[in-house]
Amino acid sequence: MTTSFSRRVALRGALALSAAAFATTAQVQAQSQTEISVGWVLPLSGGSAAIGQQARTGVQIAVDQINAAGGIKALNGAKLKLVFADSQSKPDIGVSETERLIQRENVAVMSGAFNSAVTFPATEVAERYKTPWIVMGAVKDEITERNFKYVFRINNKATYDAREQLDAIDLLKKETGQGPKTLAMFYEGSDWGRSHAANVRKLAKERGYTLVLDEAAPPNQVDFSAQLLKIRAAKPDALIAAFYTPDHLLLSRQMLEQQLNLPYGVHSVGGGTEDPSFYKAISPKAVAYYFVQEDRQVDALQGERLPEFADVEAKFKAQLGYDMSAYGAQGFAVMYVIKDALERARSAERQVLRDAVAATDITAGPALYAGYQRIKFDEQGQNTFAHGAISQNLNGQRRTVWPAESRSPDTKPAWPVPAFGARS
Amino acid sequence: MTTARPDRLRSPTVPRPDEIRAPSLPAAPGRRPRDAGTGFGTLGLIALMTLAAMALPLVVTDSYLLHSCIVVLFFAYMATAWNFVCGYVGQLSIGHAMFAGIGGYATVLLFTGLGLSPWLGMPVGGLLAALLSVVVGYPTFRLRGPYFALTTIAFAEMIRIWVENTDTVLGIPLNGAAGLTVPLRGESLAALQFNGKAPYYWVIVGLLAGALTATWWLEHSKLGFYLKAIRGDRDAAESLGISPARYQLVALAISAFMTGIGGGFYAQFFRYVNAERLIGVDLSIDMALMSIIGGQGTVFGPLLGAVLLAPLAEITRGHLGGSLLGLHIVVYGIILMLAVLYLPKGLIAPLRSLLARLGLLGRGGRR
Amino acid sequence: MDPLILSFALVNGLLIGGIYGGVALGLSLIFGVMRVVNFAHGSLLMLALYAAFWLQALAGIDPYASVVVTVPLLFAVGFLIQSVVIAPLIRRESALVVEPLSALLLTAGVYLVIDNLALMAFGPDVRSASTSLALAPLMLGPIPVNMQRLIAFSAAILAAVLLSLWLRSTRLGRAIRATAQNRDAAVLSGIDVPMIYAVTFGIGAALLGLFGSLLATFIPITPQVGLSFGIRSFIVVVLGGIGSIPGSIVGGLVIGVFEALASQFVPATSAAILSLGLFILILLVRPSGLMGRA
Repeated sequence: MTTSFSRRVALRGALALSAAAFATTAQVQAQSQTEISVGWVLPLSGGSAAIGQQARTGVQIAVDQINAAGGIKALNGAKLKLVFADSQSKPDIGVSETERLIQRENVAVMSGAFNSAVTFPATEVAERYKTPWIVMGAVKDEITERNFKYVFRINNKATYDAREQLDAIDLLKKETGQGPKTLAMFYEGSDWGRSHAANVRKLAKERGYTLVLDEAAPPNQVDFSAQLLKIRAAKPDALIAAFYTPDHLLLSRQMLEQQLNLPYGVHSVGGGTEDPSFYKAISPKAVAYYFVQEDRQVDALQGERLPEFADVEAKFKAQLGYDMSAYGAQGFAVMYVIKDALERARSAERQVLRDAVAATDITAGPALYAGYQRIKFDEQGQNTFAHGAISQNLNGQRRTVWPAESRSPDTKPAWPVPAFGARS
Repeated sequence: MTTARPDRLRSPTVPRPDEIRAPSLPAAPGRRPRDAGTGFGTLGLIALMTLAAMALPLVVTDSYLLHSCIVVLFFAYMATAWNFVCGYVGQLSIGHAMFAGIGGYATVLLFTGLGLSPWLGMPVGGLLAALLSVVVGYPTFRLRGPYFALTTIAFAEMIRIWVENTDTVLGIPLNGAAGLTVPLRGESLAALQFNGKAPYYWVIVGLLAGALTATWWLEHSKLGFYLKAIRGDRDAAESLGISPARYQLVALAISAFMTGIGGGFYAQFFRYVNAERLIGVDLSIDMALMSIIGGQGTVFGPLLGAVLLAPLAEITRGHLGGSLLGLHIVVYGIILMLAVLYLPKGLIAPLRSLLARLGLLGRGGRR
Repeated sequence: MDPLILSFALVNGLLIGGIYGGVALGLSLIFGVMRVVNFAHGSLLMLALYAAFWLQALAGIDPYASVVVTVPLLFAVGFLIQSVVIAPLIRRESALVVEPLSALLLTAGVYLVIDNLALMAFGPDVRSASTSLALAPLMLGPIPVNMQRLIAFSAAILAAVLLSLWLRSTRLGRAIRATAQNRDAAVLSGIDVPMIYAVTFGIGAALLGLFGSLLATFIPITPQVGLSFGIRSFIVVVLGGIGSIPGSIVGGLVIGVFEALASQFVPATSAAILSLGLFILILLVRPSGLMGRA
């Protein structure tokens, strides 16, 4: 009886301790009337931490701007308060943190979570608690195909990304009368890369391209020599690549080292090639003439530059040491969509706010920073006006080449791209 | 350089003090060193704790608190399942997530493909995990120490990479890296889906009670006695006719069965499984660390480890909001190092002696 | 399959394999002498890569020149880890049955701490360093061979040869080997075993300092980069024979060539599964490795 008694006491103590710890968490949330909490779930540690940090920076700058400009005017100048949570890119932790933000922090609206694997189950929690969730970054198609009422997405679906890449190739083909016949795909072997590859595979077949290589690689490689040889042996006219920053850096560097030429270039679907820290770490030679599917138009032309834009770009650079990224811009834009909805809802009550978000129709202002002309959700919560842009890296700058109407007059796409030996 | 040589040569005959007892009484495996009363006291304690825990949702209605309790108890259950073999055999498996993965995937696939209720899917997943564990364990248990640990990682990683890159196999949709979703059925007891948290809570409390009872049974069974004998001195045990491979495999299969059911519970509770998480090395490490820090080879050690470590991660995340990237893992690492160095028997050991010194243990605390 | 392509796959495999072997040298040495599986091996390489990066970013020192800093720096880190973290365990266990698992767990703790401290200190962004030396690629027919890789490969072979010679011919080296063979006898013959252990761990880490500087010129640097090398190093060391210096290089070459050739026929993901399978097979069939004495 004796040892078990000691264990019981021990356990009781331990349980009491942890219960007390939970209780303190509970008391933290002193909800003030003049503050509206906005919950963000982002990958702030682990492999995607860089992206989480960029998004958080953009979000914070937007909230600072909104609060400095008098908060939510329809709610007597109520201020926005941000509550960030780290998903570590793990679905269960994302779900638990969503529970915490909705239950404990009493947030009016949620956003995040970049990783599709986290966003997918976490948005289901938000739907159950009838809390609006504005998706940031995650592209998995099914997120806005579940007949949910509380889930909205401003940015592209995965299928849009693949379509735009092939649209750009088709456009250049039409303009010049020449283009690739064979394609190779090389992509990272997790959710994002594989689902993008599946979409390209389907579309490429429909449009009459021959796939001569279809190859996945596990993340965090230290050498791509073998795969580059394979690409060389397959002799594709163009390469479609989907990699996160470290692997993309390795791939681009090794392609330069190996002088691996592709007549119609490398078409990257973003990931690494949209990350400003990538460009900080790589020689411009290695990414010359790259086509990048951009989540926002990097050389935006439309309209006059709003003062908010200059402010966010300066602050972003001051904080992170590099230029604005797509994820920073998307985080920034989400906050202005939320502000817009709050102003119209005149309430931070979740149900009312959800209806206001559903009725969103924005055609001007800082909410369009991510590069769309309009934000309006369909009945599934998808912004049907979402689109990306395809840029080509010309003289060290990413210049939009698709859609044609966004191409500046002085942008002349290099098509076919010069071989390594023929570059100045 | 030398090649691997048996570590025993270094100090030939001195086993750890706590292990002297078991192998020194080999002639009477039926009689256990501890009196039966202690054992049934432990069982009573498990029953008491289970009843008290079951009553919690009647008092606590806060859904997040209940959610957190479920997460903590889930880890406690997984650590207890890990401890069932590793704690008693003295081997370090860093691949247990493969059993959780097979259980989770099987539960979801049997439900979506055949319409089989998760109540049956979970034990079937557990059986498949047990089957896998025999295939993996049969050759692996001959290896010791780091060799065993590295092999378990390698097996789990092979399975993870394979699942991530396989969309269908034999017509079964594994869905590769995208993972599987449990389709919503609303409030349904048969589909093990509930709108509230309390039913999930009761399920995990029940599972944990079962795992603790199984561990208690192990401690008082011939199987447990043999395992301890093998751990203390493998060759001596072997010379007494105890077949290490056989008993270790039985224990591993039971442990894998429990882990597989845990994976099924994960799938039902989060309604989503993906290979990166459920077969990932992080989950395996969590199971091992909680068990080791709490006190492996004891009934309540893994529970204690989970109850202390899981909220610690939750609280550092909640309070720091990710402002210091990775801080809680640093804390984890430091606790692990301190525990290995200064509390090799886990946090449960000093807690017991502290309580004994305070006189809370009553008679016989010195045992 | 085009024989030309295959022969280049072979060359690439040998190059990267030699580098794997070089990176694994320290792991093998530490295990051979102390029976400690250093789970933090990759983390130490990551630290060395960051050291080379920061020396270039802040002081403008070329990664190749930074060897004079990274090698002593990593020696100190290794020496400290051994004498502060692992020595207490060895002291405690000297009278008992040695449990190599405890050492593995300890170094796993070191790995968690170092990797996440690096994340906190350096941030999650990817970094890269580059050498200012004009290194024209060596042309093998139509396909260029990268000089930075060739340099790292040569350094790996050289380091293995020098380390073997040093262990054979110097007083300290012989003391290390004596300690590896029999710690108790070494104590009796007056060898300061704790010091030998600390020096051994220091040398194991210093080798990573060397490769940190050499690899920084062509490997992207992130706080997680250690893991990829760490796991490969385990495979390499087991394959070659734990504790064997030439085995480490041979194991690296075998894995490098195996992966490079396999990758020409199956996707990289399947090649990764195959090399893990090879690792398990070697452990089961011949745990002493290719070069170890059975």
